[in-house]
Amino acid sequence: MTSIMNGFLISGAALVSAAVMAIATPAMAQDATFVLAARDVGAPTYNIIKATRLNGATTLLFDRLVIQDVDQSFHGQLATSWDSTPDGMSWTFKLRRGVKFHNGENFDATTIVWWLPKFKGTENAFMTEAIERVDVIDSHTVKLVMKSPDPNMLFNLASVFMGVPAPKAYDELGDKFGVAGAVGSGPFKLESFTVGQQTILVRNDDYAWASDLSKNQGPAKIKRLTMREIAEDSTAFLELKTGGVDMLLNVPTDFLPRLKAEKDMQVVTLPGIEVFYMPMNTTVEPFTDIKVRAAAAHAINQKEIMANLFGGLGAVANNFLIDSLLESKVDPKFNIGYDPDKARKLLDEAGWSVGAGGIRAKAGKPLQVKLWTQNGTEFKRVTEVVQAQLRAVGITADITVFDASTINAQYRKKTEHQLAVRVYSWANADILDWFFAGTRLGYPNVSMWNDPKAEELNHKAMKLSRTWDERVANFKSYHEYILSQYAFAPIYQPVQNFAYSNKRLAVPEKIRGARVQSQSILDIEVRK
Amino acid sequence: MFSFAIRRLLLLIPVFLVVSMIIFMIIHLVPGDPIDNIVQIGSSPEQIAQLSAKYGLDRPLLTQYAIWFRRLLAGDLGDAIILRQPVTSLIAQNLPHSLALGGLALIFSTMVGIGAGALAAIFRESALDRAVMTLILAGSTVPSFWLGLLMILIFAVQLGWFPVSGARSWQALVLPVMTVGLGGVALVARVTRVAMIDIARKDFVLMLHAKGLSRARIQLAHVLRHALVPVVTILSLRIGWILGGAVTIEFVFARPGLGSLLITSLNQRDYPVVQGCLLMLAIAVMLGTLLGDLVQAAMDPRVRDSVA
Repeated sequence: MTSIMNGFLISGAALVSAAVMAIATPAMAQDATFVLAARDVGAPTYNIIKATRLNGATTLLFDRLVIQDVDQSFHGQLATSWDSTPDGMSWTFKLRRGVKFHNGENFDATTIVWWLPKFKGTENAFMTEAIERVDVIDSHTVKLVMKSPDPNMLFNLASVFMGVPAPKAYDELGDKFGVAGAVGSGPFKLESFTVGQQTILVRNDDYAWASDLSKNQGPAKIKRLTMREIAEDSTAFLELKTGGVDMLLNVPTDFLPRLKAEKDMQVVTLPGIEVFYMPMNTTVEPFTDIKVRAAAAHAINQKEIMANLFGGLGAVANNFLIDSLLESKVDPKFNIGYDPDKARKLLDEAGWSVGAGGIRAKAGKPLQVKLWTQNGTEFKRVTEVVQAQLRAVGITADITVFDASTINAQYRKKTEHQLAVRVYSWANADILDWFFAGTRLGYPNVSMWNDPKAEELNHKAMKLSRTWDERVANFKSYHEYILSQYAFAPIYQPVQNFAYSNKRLAVPEKIRGARVQSQSILDIEVRK
Repeated sequence: MFSFAIRRLLLLIPVFLVVSMIIFMIIHLVPGDPIDNIVQIGSSPEQIAQLSAKYGLDRPLLTQYAIWFRRLLAGDLGDAIILRQPVTSLIAQNLPHSLALGGLALIFSTMVGIGAGALAAIFRESALDRAVMTLILAGSTVPSFWLGLLMILIFAVQLGWFPVSGARSWQALVLPVMTVGLGGVALVARVTRVAMIDIARKDFVLMLHAKGLSRARIQLAHVLRHALVPVVTILSLRIGWILGGAVTIEFVFARPGLGSLLITSLNQRDYPVVQGCLLMLAIAVMLGTLLGDLVQAAMDPRVRDSVA
């Protein structure tokens, strides 16, 4: 018995030792602590060339050639100017002089010659696949010679995945780049990175090449910045409330009333890049009938959803794209809005007449459909309201909730689903290709939309556009055609909210860029 | 005793084989695909197929299992598809945190459980007994997710004694340990109480009373000591719980650990990591069971003989 108890004591001592090991890292003095958006939790690496998920700290480490403002305009960061030939077959970029990476390497034309081919064979290869080669014009001018015109080039270059790493450091670290170290030319240097926990950044005191989106053109005002990863929104909120952190980079709408009630906290709302929508499986009855699809789409009361579920913040969605995209400005006759009378009339015309209990039926078969969604409070709430709105015009929808990975596998079965409530986050019209191209049926083309005219318009928009204006016009035509076919119902465009302690931080009134990224963080000051 | 231990160890081999196959297959049977989580908007169907081939996901399941098992025998759990690191190094980074939390929670639940159980047994059928057991039962039946948030609200937000979350100081470990530990208190307390009441009825206890020993001494030095035998057995069997018992708590308190690693990887269908984490949990349970058997055998020779 004694030896057994001794064994337990030894085990206990071992466990205490493990505890000590686990907490051995001392708490470090921090100048500011931000919490990354919950969707960023677990981003595995800062290997900007090979990563498929990057978190919100990435733009602080790496600069891009160009960056995009919230109005979709492009601004030079490592490039000072750019131009393309009328046929779209080459792009010339003038590069900023005097830029140094964190390890002292110089940034110049040879960096671009090294950098762009690195994407070949990676998961991000599609972003540079239209580039044939890079020609050096002089030490700070490069020409990208194209295989085919790509008017979307600037958007791709402004992507967070297109930050430029330091060549020597990248090659030396090999597969460890992004985890053991990450060297860029951004306003902060990487001190440490623990996946799923935190990234500690220290100021790059040499930084003097901010874009014109930042008021501060010198080094950041924050000396040391800890970016924490907290998956549970309630925990993140309580950390801000107790002063454990200074800023939450994303706040769910649910928390806004509580945050606004705190006198030391400030909530800022930015235009979003997400759209809630309801795809309809156009290959499964009853949604093979365009009248039923149109009826379901016109049954959705977007304003009611925005007002009651999202506190009136954001915007209703009347088509597939976010409002700031030019391709969203379709002919108003194609926009889809709430019109219950029209919905009822269309269902009558389609032969679905009102039966017992207000549920429509045709040849004795009730109009009962499956409505899928994924787990998450916002998804469930929106889906329940959509269910009630469909019911109001005589459609019974049975809700099934899946987790995010399972639902995609279910979509791939192609014939199991009918309606779904989904959301996407993307600020480019090529999202239409992603969700409606005939080559991606099941998932991501949940609508199973596949017709010759749509494919022709898609091809024209994706492959035959030579200039930006041409691309906008082509995508607008493609967008209008999909709207006319009611392959989906638009629902809502959420906003992005972030919150901070105004006792601790001074944040510029106007946030530039689509998200809180390096261009805005450069201007943030710590009050004490 | 040594030959008993060897026999028990050998019995684990077929168990391990079966468990490894179940672990490998179970995640593949769940709908979903890691490629969905790494593919970028804009990738062509051909690029997606290439990715699938790159990670060997286009091969028959049994072939994938054979490759995985062969590597496993060499101590290699493969590379994470999403997290892009060797699974062994991911586990090595997270294991100390799980051991710390689970181990300290086990110690907490043991000490509080034995104390509460002893108190309830000594004052059995009294108001104190009922109050202690009701409180413990209530504490252990509250969902740990909710209990964690409650702990944060009371001890971090209202009283400001401990940080809300994280793993950056020893103070950050207190609330998670209490939250996880409370779940185990009820079991230990109940076993202790029942065992003490049972022992108290034995003849040798009557003899101790007859000898004139104080009630406190009899209860603490003799009854409790003998009652610890079943408690020790129960605790041995709960070794696996050290690693697996804190999954949601790690999430609420934003702590690293095998639980958060498993949940994150499961959500992303990062097959190699899920398999690695489940294997670790399974091994912990197997070793815990082995330890429980050895403890029992050490205390009771009849157990040794039954396996002979």
